[in-house]
Parts: sequence; structure tokens; C-alpha cells
Amino acid sequence: MKPALSPDPEPKIALIGNPNCGKTSIFNQLTGLQQKVGNFPGVTVDKKTGTLELPGGTRAMLIDLPGAYSFYPTSKDEKLVVQSLVQPGNENYPDAIVYIADVTKLEKHLLLFSQLKDLGIPVLLALNMADVAEQEGLEYDLEKLGRKLGAPTLLVSGRTGEGLGQLKQMMVDLLAQIPTVNVPLDSTQYRLAPEEAKLITQIQGEFPGYTPYQLVLLAHHIKWLPFLTPAQKIVIEQAINNTGFQDLQLQVYETMQRYDQFTPIVQQARDRDSAQSASFTERLDDLLTNRFLGPVVFFGLMLMIFHALFTWAELPMNFIEDTFGGLNTFLQTNLPKHWLTDLLTEGIVTGLSGVVVFVPQIAILFFLISLLEEVGYMARAAFMFDRIMQFFGLNGRSVVALISGGACAIPAIMSTRTISNWKERLITILVTPFISCSARIPVYTVLIGFVVPPTKVGYVSLQALAFMGLYLLGIAAALLAALVFKLILRTNETSYLMLELPEYRLPVMRNVWLTVWEKVKTFTFEAGRIILIISMVLWLMSSFGPPGAIKQAEEMARHSAQLKNLDETATQDLIDAQVMEASFAGQLGKFIEPAIRPLGFDWKIGIALITSFAAREVFVATMATIYSIGHQDDEYSIREKMAKQRDPITKELIYSPATSLSLLLFYVFAMQCMSTIAVVKRETKSWKWPLIQFAFMTGLAYLSSWLAYMWLS
Amino acid sequence: MVATTNTGKQLAKMKIGSKGHVSHFTDNCMACKLLSMGILPGTLIEVVRAAPFGGGCYIKADNLLIALRKSEACSIVIR
Repeated sequence: MKPALSPDPEPKIALIGNPNCGKTSIFNQLTGLQQKVGNFPGVTVDKKTGTLELPGGTRAMLIDLPGAYSFYPTSKDEKLVVQSLVQPGNENYPDAIVYIADVTKLEKHLLLFSQLKDLGIPVLLALNMADVAEQEGLEYDLEKLGRKLGAPTLLVSGRTGEGLGQLKQMMVDLLAQIPTVNVPLDSTQYRLAPEEAKLITQIQGEFPGYTPYQLVLLAHHIKWLPFLTPAQKIVIEQAINNTGFQDLQLQVYETMQRYDQFTPIVQQARDRDSAQSASFTERLDDLLTNRFLGPVVFFGLMLMIFHALFTWAELPMNFIEDTFGGLNTFLQTNLPKHWLTDLLTEGIVTGLSGVVVFVPQIAILFFLISLLEEVGYMARAAFMFDRIMQFFGLNGRSVVALISGGACAIPAIMSTRTISNWKERLITILVTPFISCSARIPVYTVLIGFVVPPTKVGYVSLQALAFMGLYLLGIAAALLAALVFKLILRTNETSYLMLELPEYRLPVMRNVWLTVWEKVKTFTFEAGRIILIISMVLWLMSSFGPPGAIKQAEEMARHSAQLKNLDETATQDLIDAQVMEASFAGQLGKFIEPAIRPLGFDWKIGIALITSFAAREVFVATMATIYSIGHQDDEYSIREKMAKQRDPITKELIYSPATSLSLLLFYVFAMQCMSTIAVVKRETKSWKWPLIQFAFMTGLAYLSSWLAYMWLS
Repeated sequence: MVATTNTGKQLAKMKIGSKGHVSHFTDNCMACKLLSMGILPGTLIEVVRAAPFGGGCYIKADNLLIALRKSEACSIVIR
């Protein structure tokens, strides 16, 4: 039997379940590398979709909706679930639903399932964590459970892959079912309250194709559902007033009624309960969330992450640099001397190297952070630091964003969607970019040696300490800025922590690798593209100038070199410097030089500051492009090239401690990332907040750089 | 459900390690959220530990582990 042809060529199947039900593991198992992360239109919640080949050759689109506890949302993620499911005809409205529940917490996980049943969309119940249930000796009579709950039921495991073949088979049958539209009032999963029944009869004429429960939800969420027209709102509001429909009271009533309906079913279908004993999780939490030791362990873990970031990445980074260096030498010796060869080696290959060299650090950081998330530790961090975070106007969940900010502000800002309070969420978004992200690492690495000598105090190198100092400075700036915003911004929304602490589980490595793969891919292709383009533009700008200017500069340099009686190398250096100055890039740098002179920056650094606005990591690539023109031999790393730069007139070192520290501080504080600004605009739905953020971050950067330069020089 | 009786004790005032059944909630808004997570009247709750730096607590409701703020724990009345 082939499934009935749906009007859509690819039927949509939604994966729905409570947070921590293991939905992502199942989604990853079913779609693997076939998944795409996009955006739900209008809102900025990540929309994960994947194509699925079902038995019999049907293809279906699988949508991974965010985890939710019920149709009464408090966070943005949960609102999206409601929005996609209450409006038949919505572009995310699924043809079928696969509901995932944690079999070990079935009584807690069926509320949303019971609500879904009242939508009339064909739904099946997949009981996840079959492997854990088996270990604990937990058994259900699946046939009985499915019959009483009115949905096909099966056991699956996102960890082992058990039951997924059967799941696909059942999806085919599910798609063949026809959605029920005309649901009689008395067939909902719970007994409608008299007000609800009256409200439904009053408004159903206005909403053809809606089930009774969807109409009840429209009344509950009238304030924020975006698709209701003003006329529809009036109809609903009138019905609410006529019937005495009480939002909160009816929510509590409905929820209790539903629990009363399914709790006995679950208990009767349970053949064997799991052996209850103080679980592994609770014993581990005795240590990990201990009032005194918990925070100590947390900081220890963070320290280990940063240590790993530097030590593990060193070898692959050196390898990448050597490989690209070798490639450049090979190309230069084997290709004819032509400006296209120079563009290839000094523009493209150097730029590419500047992208690929960060891949190890980004991969390691996301690997470790997603590992902590996957085992269930992040929720503990949120719990432990909630009180402190509240002092700064943030939420315990902000800890996750701030830590992820150490990798990249963009996913970190997106992770704030789980914070339901708007003020707390906004502050988290505004201050997260202060946390030193991985893009600042190369800038710090290159510059720190100009400020701090490579000596050791005991076992610790001074440079490593300075490194940590820069990170702490970023954290301090984030918290202080949060405090300021807490005092300025006003809100009367309730704030929640109320956080489920999932059982510690061995990580499903597939999930971790998929996250790492996705982030590395995004970095290489999204950020990488920008970096590469900028490297090429820069090379062109620094090699060409207004007509005649380059030639003139070259002749002038040759002439003054002859006068001063310089040797061959010095002559070449002088020529290069003067040519650079005459080029388009030099002129742009010169143009902004007056503004950055007080910070100790010359026009070359000015170029780097401008290009860094595309992405901070461009700094190094810019330096590479600018200075590889000064010296022909590629054996030197960028750092060594920079260390040799002297002012052509005064002969003083350009990267003096004062200038380098000033530059470091600028990179710690300044908002120099187009992508972050774009994300903040998307998340706050206005240009106001990203502009405010840009102004205060860059202002702070300018001020602190200026003070540092004044103090040291 | 939300009741007006004053018997029972707020969860926030219970000793670490003590247990009790939920009687009712004092705040409709909190009640909705707690109910949807599976904390119902009659649910057995154990106060497992206090949060570092004060404020919240770590509770066990049936086999569910939940972190609550003090204000959240205040809205639950134990009988």
C-alpha cells in the first residue's frame, strides 16, 4: 500500500517532545549529515530539518521542533512550537507528529502528548531511552498503552539506534492516516470546562478547519499569536468576555484534567517498575553541585578547557601554517613572476591559511562545550550560578551563553532563547560579546609577546598569565556592563529558573561530532568566505594605487636610498614601505590615522582595524598581507615579521609595549564583528540594541586603549 | 490546585533532606509552570540541597531533579 498522495510533494513530519527527552539524538540518528539548520521565518529560532527516506521510497521532511513542556509557553522556543501547531495551514504545520517521551519519566512527559492528540494531526508515541529502561528493569505493555492512549506506540533508543527501523515503518502508516478536522466537542482528551465549550461554539464560525482545542489555545494566546487578524482578535475577545474565560485558572484546570486522564493509564500499563535506588546522578551531584566544591570543580573544568585549547591545538596549527608556507614557496618558485602569481600567493593562499589555521581551536572548543552539554553538566552550572547571575541582572541560564561566548558570540547569543525573561535575555545578549571569543585568540597570541617577555614564574609562563588576564578582563567588563544595564532597564515580567537537571549520561558521540562538524563548517564557509574576500581585496588595495602614484613612490624611494647610500636589502625595504604608503590601502589608513594616533596606532594598524570589523581574526590575515609585501621570504611567521617593523623615519619599533597593550585592550573590548551585530539585530528585532552595543563596547575600547597608551609611553 | 487554606509549609522553609507531598500552590502563574513540568498536588518532593551562594535549592520530585529559585520554592506548599 502506498501512502495517500498528499498535496505537498514532501510530507512534513514534526519531532516533538519535552526538553531532555533525547529528541536531538533521534533526529541525528534519522538524518545524520543530511540535516540543515535554517531559521523559522519571522522568528529566529533555529529550524533543524532533514530529509528522510522511508520504506517504500517515500521521502519526508523531518522538522526538529524545540523542546517544550506544554502548550503554555514561557520561552521563545516554546512559543514557536505553539505557533507552528495551532494554525492549520501554517508553513510548519506538520502532516504527522512523532512524539518522543523519556520512558523512564513517562508520567511527566505525556502532558504535551495529550495536548497534541487534540489537534487532530496523526501522532505516534516513541518511548525513548529503551536502553536505560532495560538496564533499570522498567517494562511497559506497549500494546495496552498504545490502545488506551490512542496512538501507535513503540520503544526506541537514540543512543543505540534500537527501534528506528520500526519507527520509519510506522511513519509510513502514520502519513497514510487522514487528519481529523471535525472533532466533536466531547471527544477531547479532557472534559472541556463550560466556559471553554461556550467559547468554542462562539468563535468556531470564524475559524473553519480548526479543532476545538486549537480554538481554546487561540483564546489563551491571543496576546502574542502573530497570525491573528484584528477582526479575528475582536471576535475572540468578545467571546472571552461573554463566557468569563479565565486564562490562568483554565490552564491549571486543563492540565490537572489531563494528568487525571493519563496517569492511571500509564500505571496500569506498567508491567514492572524500575528498581529505585539513590542514582548515580544524585551521588555525582553530591560533589558537582556541592555548595563549596561545586564551584571549585566548575572553575577547574574551565581551566582545563582553556589549557586543552592551547596545548592540543598547537601541533595541528603549526602543521597547517607549515603546509601553507610550503605551498606558497612552491608556487612562487614554479610560477612565472606576474602580479597574478602574487595575488595567488600573497592574497589567496595567505588568506586561506588565515582561515584554516583556526579550525583546530574552534573544533576543540565546540567539542568540549558540547560534551559538557551532552553529559548534562551545563544545567548544573546554571543552577549553581543563578544567584550570582541574578545579582548582575542575568539568569542562571546566562552562564551557558557566557561560556559559549568563549567559543563564539553568535551561537552564544542564539542560546539565550531559553531565557524567558526579556530583560535578562537582552542583558545577556548585550554583554556576551565582551567574553573573549576564539577569534580574539590569534590576535592575543600575536601581540602578547610584544608586551610580556617569555619568562616563567615557577611553572607558569608570564605570557599564559597575561592571556588569562585578558580573558578575566573580558569577563569583568561583561559583568559590570550587565550591572549597569540592570539598573537602567525596566521590566515587570516574571523571571524563572525552574530548570530540570537531566540525569548524567555518557555522551552520545554522534551528537558531539555533528555539532563540531556543523560549527567548523559554518566557520570555514561563512566566516572563511569573508576573510578570503577581504584578504584578496586588501592585497589588491595595497598593491595598486592612484595612477602613477606607485611608480612615483618607487622612484622617490630609490632616489633617497642612493642619497643615503643604503645597501640592497634596506633599499628594497624602503621601496616597499613607500609603495605601501602610496597605495589605496595606505591612503585609507592614512585617512583614519588622526583618529587612532592617540591610541598609538599607525595607519597600517588602522587598515587592520577596518578589516577586523568583518571578523576579528582578519587582523592576522591583514598583517600577513601587509607585511608579506615588506619581506619576500615566507619562512618567517607573521609575529617575527611584525617584531622587525620599525618606523621608517624615527626607526623606533612599531610594536612597542605601549602600542601593543593598547591594541590588545582595543581587541578585548571593541565590537568588531559584523556577524554578531547582524545576529543581535535579528534576536532583538531592532537596530537600536546592536547600535547601543556597538557604541558602548567600542567607546570603552577607545577609552581604555588611550589610557593604557598614555600610561606606558 | 490553588487553594486558600493556610495549613502546610512552604517548600522554601523545609530542611535539607526532608520530604513531603505537595498540597497546593500559592501562585497561579508558578503553578502553571510547575504543573507542566510534572509537579502536581500529591507529588512527593525531597529537598536535596541548597544552591552554592545561597538562594535556590535542588529538589527531587518523584524521579525528576529540578533546580528552583527561592521565590519558586516559596510558591509550593507541602502538607
